[in-house]
Amino acid sequence: MKAIDPRILTPTMVRISEAADMTAQERFFRLRLSRPLGHRPGQFVMVSVPGIGEAPISICCGPGDHDRLELLVRSAGSLTMVLRRLEAGDQVGIRGPFGTGFDLADFEGRDVLIVAGGLGLAPLRSLIEPLILDRQRFGRITIISGCRTPADELFGREMRAWSRVPGTRVIRLVNDTAHLPWDGEVGLVTAPIAGLDMDPAATLAVLCGPPVMYKFVIMELAGRGLAHDRIFIDLERRMRCGIGKCGHCQINHLTCCQDGPVFRLSTVQSLPEALA
Amino acid sequence: MGSYLVERSVFIDWISRLARHEKVYFPLPVSKSSFRFSRVRSRSRLALEDFDDPRQAKPFRASACIPPPVRLLAPDNELLFTFRRDSAGDCHPTPVLDHNRRILAGVRPCDLKAIALMDRFQGDGIADPYYLARRGNTLLIGHDCLQPCDEYCFCEAAGSLSWRQGADIFLTPQPQARLLVEPLTDQGAALLADAGFPACSDVQACRARAAARRPTPFARQFKAPLARVMHAVAESWQSPVWERHAGRCFSCGTCNLVCPTCSCFDVRDDFNVEDPDSGRRTRHRDACMLEDFAEVAGGYNFRKSPAARQRHRVMRKFVYLPQRFGGTGFCVGCGRCGRQCTVAIDIFTIATDLLAGAGEAA
Ligand SMILES: Cc1cc2nc3c(=O)[nH]c(=O)nc-3n(C[C@H](O)[C@H](O)[C@H](O)COP(=O)(O)OP(=O)(O)OC[C@H]3O[C@@H](n4cnc5c(N)ncnc54)[C@H](O)[C@@H]3O)c2cc1C
Ligand code: SF4
Ligand code: SF4
Ligand code: FES
Repeated sequence: MKAIDPRILTPTMVRISEAADMTAQERFFRLRLSRPLGHRPGQFVMVSVPGIGEAPISICCGPGDHDRLELLVRSAGSLTMVLRRLEAGDQVGIRGPFGTGFDLADFEGRDVLIVAGGLGLAPLRSLIEPLILDRQRFGRITIISGCRTPADELFGREMRAWSRVPGTRVIRLVNDTAHLPWDGEVGLVTAPIAGLDMDPAATLAVLCGPPVMYKFVIMELAGRGLAHDRIFIDLERRMRCGIGKCGHCQINHLTCCQDGPVFRLSTVQSLPEALA
Repeated sequence: MGSYLVERSVFIDWISRLARHEKVYFPLPVSKSSFRFSRVRSRSRLALEDFDDPRQAKPFRASACIPPPVRLLAPDNELLFTFRRDSAGDCHPTPVLDHNRRILAGVRPCDLKAIALMDRFQGDGIADPYYLARRGNTLLIGHDCLQPCDEYCFCEAAGSLSWRQGADIFLTPQPQARLLVEPLTDQGAALLADAGFPACSDVQACRARAAARRPTPFARQFKAPLARVMHAVAESWQSPVWERHAGRCFSCGTCNLVCPTCSCFDVRDDFNVEDPDSGRRTRHRDACMLEDFAEVAGGYNFRKSPAARQRHRVMRKFVYLPQRFGGTGFCVGCGRCGRQCTVAIDIFTIATDLLAGAGEAA
């Protein structure tokens, strides 16, 4: 008999221990859990403010036996606007973790190429953290992260710190400097791929960004000879349940919340609804 | 398990008596032509199909029961949890599950199959505790069909006509206003144990008599076996048929709302207006035919055109869910979607056209 969790659709309230604006649109939260969530990188939680609503938010910290849960939330609508006003000491509700996420064992001994567009860096940070923490288990790590202007950059200080870790390269890009000081490069995340020192047989690539980004990055990676089962993509859909029941996140016969949101490209490339 | 052969009026009296101490639901008329599964009260008039003149007793049919009985297991506006803020300002959400015992009587084979399919769907992976709590405490009394509902029905073609799985008791009309009453589960047998019904000496003969009474073919038929139809739908992504049928679709979502195997939902939070320190989250039926169903933050819509949404709905019934659940089609052929659509878009016709298209291409 499968155990049925009567609380699966009811949030558990947890307290915010730290809250700070990262940009004009994104706010960073650290929550204190009563027990470790036991999540995998790439999983997400459903975040609630009871009375207001609920939305899927990626876990942006690495896994581990800790009572921390970190989230980066962009103000996009009714719930996230309310989250923006919450401070340390306030409560939010969480459910989860949901989704398949990444299996760190897949990355062992491999070179890893991470391509993040905008907010896509948040879920990928949950993968980058354990890669960096256990650095010698993995091959070369290359992180390409792009955003619109220097004012929109996420986790800038951390990216600089990652770039100082041996065998780790971080390429930070903006579309436009908008007349602000900028110590990275200018261009789209697709631009550096052609010139990377990369062994396609030893590399795994991981992509997360806005829907329009995938097609172009995948084209570049294909140009470098990377096989589709070596490319992971992290997809976004509207989600109302996280347990494969509300129907909103369906991608053809798959549900993004249960079968994803992380997919191997080889799994979804034949699905016409997967990519924009 | 012993079966019974009972006068219809005796059985109806028994149901009425049962309803005094159990929550019994039965298709009751809400207008001249439509029925709804409603709580049986002392003065409710219950009608069952007559063997000799199936039209005479003005029986309820699956066709006339809109919404389908499975909605009692997953009602619209369903309460998920309540919450209360304490004096320290901390919030306490509490799930509210419905464990009430219910009996759904008069469930037709297509709707029985739909419930069996939803049992699998709701129990799959991380189970839906609300559905399973209701379902685990619900007994089903099925009722056979000797005549097709109307020109929209295609239950035999969809493989539903002989469906009994999931029923605790199954009723089959017999000549001279009698009824074959078969318990199919221990719970069903227990319910009937004290009814005092006369035993049936030849169940096989009664079943055969009813089967022989049905017209053949029974309602609309596809021009190929169901497996071929499902295959044709699976191969039809680029077909012009989608655009042809969806061209006049309003994207109103009625077809989803009436379908016994549509279960998509949205959730809504509300504060209690009289006591804003408390409130609730409820869920509401949603429809993949609505324009914004697959829109994500930032405005990107993964199914922008009505044709893409129509294709999703049909694929879900004939391809996606069967793929996940061992090949059984999730369209039970009840005909509700075609019957209720204001612009006469009919899933049977869509599937038929796709099958014809597949034949041409081959
Ligand atoms: C797996 C996953 C992980 C995610 N991770 C993160 C993350 O780490 N950080 C983050 O900030 N976001 C993340 N998101 C996105 C986030 O879930 C959405 O931005 C969030 O749902 C917005 O909720 P809201 O209530 O604030 O907005 P809503 O009020 O729901 O509206 C936001 C936008 O969504 C669309 N929309 C929503 N509902 C409707 C509707 N009824 N009708 C029409 N349009 C509608 C519109 O485009 C609207 O502008 C993730 C999403 C997924 C699926
Ligand atoms: S097919 Fe008919 S019922 Fe369904 S959304 Fe379109 S117009 Fe409405
Ligand atoms: S798709 Fe239409 S005919 Fe098929 S089960 Fe649903 S409502 Fe009935
Ligand atoms: S979020 Fe409800 S089915 Fe995936």
